[in-house]
Amino acid sequence: MTQGKYATDYTTADQMVISAARQIKNTDTVYVGVGLPMQAGVLAKNFHAPGCTIIIENGIVRASLFPLPRATDTLGSQSYAEQLSGLFYVNCLAQAGYITTGFMGGGQIDRYGNVNDTAVGDYRNPIHRWPGSGGGNDVMSFCGRTIVILEQTKRRFLEKVDFNTCPGYFDGKPGRREEIGLRPNTGPVAVITDLATYTFENREMTLKSVHTGCGITLDQVKAELSWDVKVAKDLTDTEPPTVEEMRVYQEKIVAARVMPPGARPPGPPPGR
Amino acid sequence: MSNKVMTMKEAVSKNVKSGDLLFVGGAQHGSPNAAVHEIVRQRIDHLTLIALLSNTGILIGEGLVDTLLTGYYQLDEKRSYGLQRARAKGKYPVVKEYSHFGIAQALYAGYMGVPFMPTKSQIGSDMPKYNDNIKTITCPFTGTKTGVIRAVVPDVGILHVQRCDAEGNAQRWGTLGVDHEGINASKKIIITTEKIVDGDVIRRDPNRTIIPGFRVNAVVEQPFGAYPVHLAGCYNDGPNTFGAMQDEEAWENNLKDAVTGVKDWNEYLENLKKINGADFLEKLKIKNPAMSEPVITGI
Repeated sequence: MTQGKYATDYTTADQMVISAARQIKNTDTVYVGVGLPMQAGVLAKNFHAPGCTIIIENGIVRASLFPLPRATDTLGSQSYAEQLSGLFYVNCLAQAGYITTGFMGGGQIDRYGNVNDTAVGDYRNPIHRWPGSGGGNDVMSFCGRTIVILEQTKRRFLEKVDFNTCPGYFDGKPGRREEIGLRPNTGPVAVITDLATYTFENREMTLKSVHTGCGITLDQVKAELSWDVKVAKDLTDTEPPTVEEMRVYQEKIVAARVMPPGARPPGPPPGR
Repeated sequence: MSNKVMTMKEAVSKNVKSGDLLFVGGAQHGSPNAAVHEIVRQRIDHLTLIALLSNTGILIGEGLVDTLLTGYYQLDEKRSYGLQRARAKGKYPVVKEYSHFGIAQALYAGYMGVPFMPTKSQIGSDMPKYNDNIKTITCPFTGTKTGVIRAVVPDVGILHVQRCDAEGNAQRWGTLGVDHEGINASKKIIITTEKIVDGDVIRRDPNRTIIPGFRVNAVVEQPFGAYPVHLAGCYNDGPNTFGAMQDEEAWENNLKDAVTGVKDWNEYLENLKKINGADFLEKLKIKNPAMSEPVITGI
């Protein structure tokens, strides 16, 4: 490690977006959802993956740079796009297998990568409601590799989600996705939180790295999970943001960030 | 001479009826807000609403919607004054939830005139347990399982466009959300347009026509008909595009400003200029238009 390569002044929220952005490769076609996924996508596009193509569900296909939109559709995200169509078209691309990478948020996630964007508690009489699938189910159902980004709390990370809005690997047994009619070689491959990063080993969420650079400990990570999480043999420290990453992140994401009213706010959902 | 060109009041009263299944276009882009507010003004109720990321909360909060077909909506009653208001009126809608692609496919099936569409979306999720319009069947060709989504055929669809001729040949550009599927699936169609143009303008760029005139029932010229939502090539977002009206006072004020206290959308726009300055709307217009190369047709 060269002296001064890494930033020293950053938060767990910064690490989350930057770690998520690193999941995007230069050759990827990425379907990004609203909020943190969009921030990660725009950061990757502006930093290490300028060649990636970003797909926005309203019908936007972008190989060219664009400013971080307030939600997903703005004149800025539309203007000078390579293609503008509609939601049906871009989801056909995804369903037919032409989108390599999906990027989505979530309300709750469970041990086998199933995501709840719908309701906490009973669907008919919920303790808490989120706005629903939106494009989340489509991203998780269709894309080659799906990455989920969300703040980690014990109430969000469960053995089993209350409502399965976006199926991951169901109960974790092999072949479940294919059995119900989903394409092979799809499903969640990473979960990025403000405490840690996870991969999936044999379809089970597995702790891969801890944000130790922000002072997070393994015990803290485990305390914010509702099950005894599997830990990768090669568990590491999360690579901190580099000085260069932080510079681009501050300039292109933080400066442009406006919370769209009605979006899922950061922090834990109300109590179960 | 066409008799399709009419006022918003006429277009809505002639084509939108109590009990209708209504499609509202404009997913986060160019939503037909002037038309939606006219429906509220005429208090057309018992609607079944299918819309995606459009500004339709006012229909729900005013108790005009019996059933809502949606993929994403602020359904947390604790955080939605509109839902609280609907509940207080005893008009909390029945909600049928899809994914966004599910909504698009339901409309696409309607547009195709077929009873359902196969899908790989939503299958295996918990959504079909609570939405009987999504099921799984065995594919008759491969024997594997496939999801199916029931067609939705709206009684009436409303779309706001940049330009349209007097016959209803309507052209829209920018992102299309579910506009193409939704408006083509609809039995009756209201087009609201920034500008009514000569038919020759349409015919020199016919690939841009999203719906042909013979399918359209009403054409309404309504500048800033999508305000406060942006419209490609025309104007940017106004203030408070999302998330306004989160308490009774704000809701009542908006209702008075945009619906009950004015005779139509033009009066509302004039009032906005009186309050915010004569150049208020002018300032929203795009500042750096990008001109395409001409599309050449002809013989």
